[in-house]
Amino acid sequence: MAGKRFRCLLICLFLFGMVLTAAPAASAEARTNGGKGIASLDELAGADIAVQTGMICDVLAQQRIENVKIQYYNAQTDALIALETGKARGWCCDEPVARYMGLTHPDVVVLEEELAESDLAAVFPKTEKGQKLRDQYSAFVDGLWADGTMAAIDAVWFSTDEEKRTVLDYSALPDTNGTLIMTTDTTIPPFSFVKDGRPMGYDIDVAARFCQANGYRLQVVQMSFDSILAAVQTGKCDFAASSITITDERKESVLFSTPDYRGGVVMAVLKEASAAAPEKTTFWSGIASSFEKTFLREDRWRLFADGTLTSLIIAVLSILLGTLLGFGVYMMCRKGNPLANGVTRFCMWIVQGMPVVVLLMILYYIVFGSVSVSGVIVAVAGFTLTFGSTVFSLLKMGVGTIDRGQYEASFTLGFSDRTTFYRIILPQALPHILPAYKSEIVTLIKATAVVGYIAVQDLTKMGDIVRSRTYEAFFPLIAVTVIYFLLEGLLAFLVSRIQIRVNPKRRKAEDILKGVNPDDKN
Amino acid sequence: MIKIEHLKKTYPNSVPLRDVSVEINDGDVIAVIGPSGTGKSTLLRCICLLEKPTEGRVLIDGTDVTDPNCNSDLARRKMGMVFQSFNLFGHMTVIENIMLAPQLLLHRNRQEAYNEGMRLLRMVGLAEKALNYPEELSGGQKQRVAIARTLAMDPEIILFDEPTSALDPTMVEEVQAVIRELAGTGKTILIVTHEMSFARSISNRVFFMDEGRICEDGTPEQIFDHPLNEKTRRFVRKLKVLELGIKSRDYDFLAMYTEIDKYCVKNRIPWKITQYLHMAFEEMVRQLTSPELPPPDIQTAIEYSESAETVEMSIRYTGPSFDVTRGGEELSMKVLKSTMPEITYTFDPNAEYSNRVLLSWHC
Repeated sequence: MAGKRFRCLLICLFLFGMVLTAAPAASAEARTNGGKGIASLDELAGADIAVQTGMICDVLAQQRIENVKIQYYNAQTDALIALETGKARGWCCDEPVARYMGLTHPDVVVLEEELAESDLAAVFPKTEKGQKLRDQYSAFVDGLWADGTMAAIDAVWFSTDEEKRTVLDYSALPDTNGTLIMTTDTTIPPFSFVKDGRPMGYDIDVAARFCQANGYRLQVVQMSFDSILAAVQTGKCDFAASSITITDERKESVLFSTPDYRGGVVMAVLKEASAAAPEKTTFWSGIASSFEKTFLREDRWRLFADGTLTSLIIAVLSILLGTLLGFGVYMMCRKGNPLANGVTRFCMWIVQGMPVVVLLMILYYIVFGSVSVSGVIVAVAGFTLTFGSTVFSLLKMGVGTIDRGQYEASFTLGFSDRTTFYRIILPQALPHILPAYKSEIVTLIKATAVVGYIAVQDLTKMGDIVRSRTYEAFFPLIAVTVIYFLLEGLLAFLVSRIQIRVNPKRRKAEDILKGVNPDDKN
Repeated sequence: MIKIEHLKKTYPNSVPLRDVSVEINDGDVIAVIGPSGTGKSTLLRCICLLEKPTEGRVLIDGTDVTDPNCNSDLARRKMGMVFQSFNLFGHMTVIENIMLAPQLLLHRNRQEAYNEGMRLLRMVGLAEKALNYPEELSGGQKQRVAIARTLAMDPEIILFDEPTSALDPTMVEEVQAVIRELAGTGKTILIVTHEMSFARSISNRVFFMDEGRICEDGTPEQIFDHPLNEKTRRFVRKLKVLELGIKSRDYDFLAMYTEIDKYCVKNRIPWKITQYLHMAFEEMVRQLTSPELPPPDIQTAIEYSESAETVEMSIRYTGPSFDVTRGGEELSMKVLKSTMPEITYTFDPNAEYSNRVLLSWHC
């Protein structure tokens, strides 16, 4: 019966996905009467502007244009989609990003007037070691500008010729002077993105050349843009290059190298609809092309597979360890030990009151700040804590439903407290606990989507990475959603099996009377 | 033998047990009776260590089981308890409920435990329900299984805490029959119950408890037929009592008048009798508080027995022998005397209140 339900669910999901994939076609019509044909910044007064969180574009746009309303998006892709679907009339971003998007989106046009000059550079921690490395890096970049190499790099990454867009194999460089860890957000092409399963782009090209010239091996760690400065400050990496704009405020906390890209902040708007009507595609060929781009091109399915595995590992380990932790703590607190209960209440107050993202960031950058530990382990630790406190609450609730009389009957038969708990109380509490436990597992799997903040390449993050390459609005999202549903279905199914096993009423008479001959007359 | 010494149990806002000292011999079948909230259940729960006494000791065969160093799990194996709410283990079948303790605690093998369990189930008449779950049984059946489960550990002492109070009246008899059968087997039994005839018929000893103490401890004949204690008498006869004391000539007559009214309405005493009570009270007390006599000290008690349908009023007062029934206004005394079959006056110079007038009416 469970299998049948599962199949129904899959069919529903598929239909849901098709509807959503078809949605952009409908919104394409909506945009014809949206904000097209804008020619100057002043025309955007009072309009909605899309920007990426963590950039300085929002401040610049507010200074330059009257009454603009800022919409914040987590990725440039989302900001672009907002522009294309008419949710925003302008998209404020760095010049190179707009320039790059222009290569694949002929309906997007960049306004001539720049909002600000802005240069991009690599950042280094404010330590003695960081200072030295920064000076070395700046000198190298100055050299690239002087001999014209920089112009050549620019030409490679801002071309549409995929063949040329590649970097040297930086992870195999000789580590004469050690290995440098560089953090970058791989959703910002052409500076940093994933191609053929490998981070590459303008920034990585420069960094790789620097490492090659100075005898370093390069290790690239991918993380969310929001976390990059935190990673540099706490020494989680040696430096970061991720299309980071030089600002005075940022200079207070980190060191910048010489600019490696001279650009500005610009505003992109939609072109008049008359130009270049999009070629008609049928629904099915649209889906086929989306599928090809999202999964097949550059073997991107590998990214999804890796991300799924990572998400699954984090979820399963957190569930197992969290259950053990919650159970262990419950057993210590069960008899009302005031110390154990006090400590537990305090820890639960902290863990449950805090957004998981903040908890993960604190664990990654502060608690494990000075030790080199993989983001996956930190994610498991963080979710073990949150899931442990959930299990603790569930046990408390479930055991609380058992009548006091059950304890008393067991004690008067002569059972110890321990036997009473394991043989009488827990078996009766479990059926109350498991349904809630199952839904908590589903919640946990969804909650793991935030681990991108601590440099973990989970399913959501992989979806973002692919989306930043393909500029597909929805297909990767739907794909990610379907995979999440499958993961949730799988784990919920396992718990259902346990649920059946612990239900005593499903036993047959032979099981109940195992090892007993009912007709024995002695 | 169970020896209880100055047992006391207090809670922050109540004192269920004040001071209980008693010895219970092996094979005693004791019915514990008394009004609600007088510590009957608490006494049983202290004996089987479900409650920790505030003061005092419980010795079972010479071992102090209330000693913190005593292994309470071991001590409990000698005892069994049957609860008002049955408390069968809901996740196990009837036979598993019975087999669990002998298997785990007495290390019987499954076959032995099963055979013994089935024997007990046959004894309580429920062998065919062995593979049913408790929720599939009626209340009376559940209680019989609970008794079988207790017997499976072969306890020397069995404590029954109101075993039939949660049952439908039609099922009380089937449970009582099982308990009655046990009463002759030599086990020590304490049973808290509100079923007086049942208590009387199975026990060889009765404790009447009131206000956290054992007020009277005696044979069923003594307790039910010739109680020594006034409270016992009122309880076993199911009397409803109103007591009024007068210590001064300036007592609040109206307040007492209202109290008699309220008491009569509450106990549904016929209006006619209420009138007589008022009349008698007024007549007697008026005489006893007259200025010619020394300052009064009068105790009035009205007792109503629902079963016998009688109302008795006793008026006791101090001082030398003085029969109020002979004095007073002749006419009103005559009217009063005409309402009742009898009115008696007794004088006992050694009693706290030497004079006593007893009036009684049939409803």
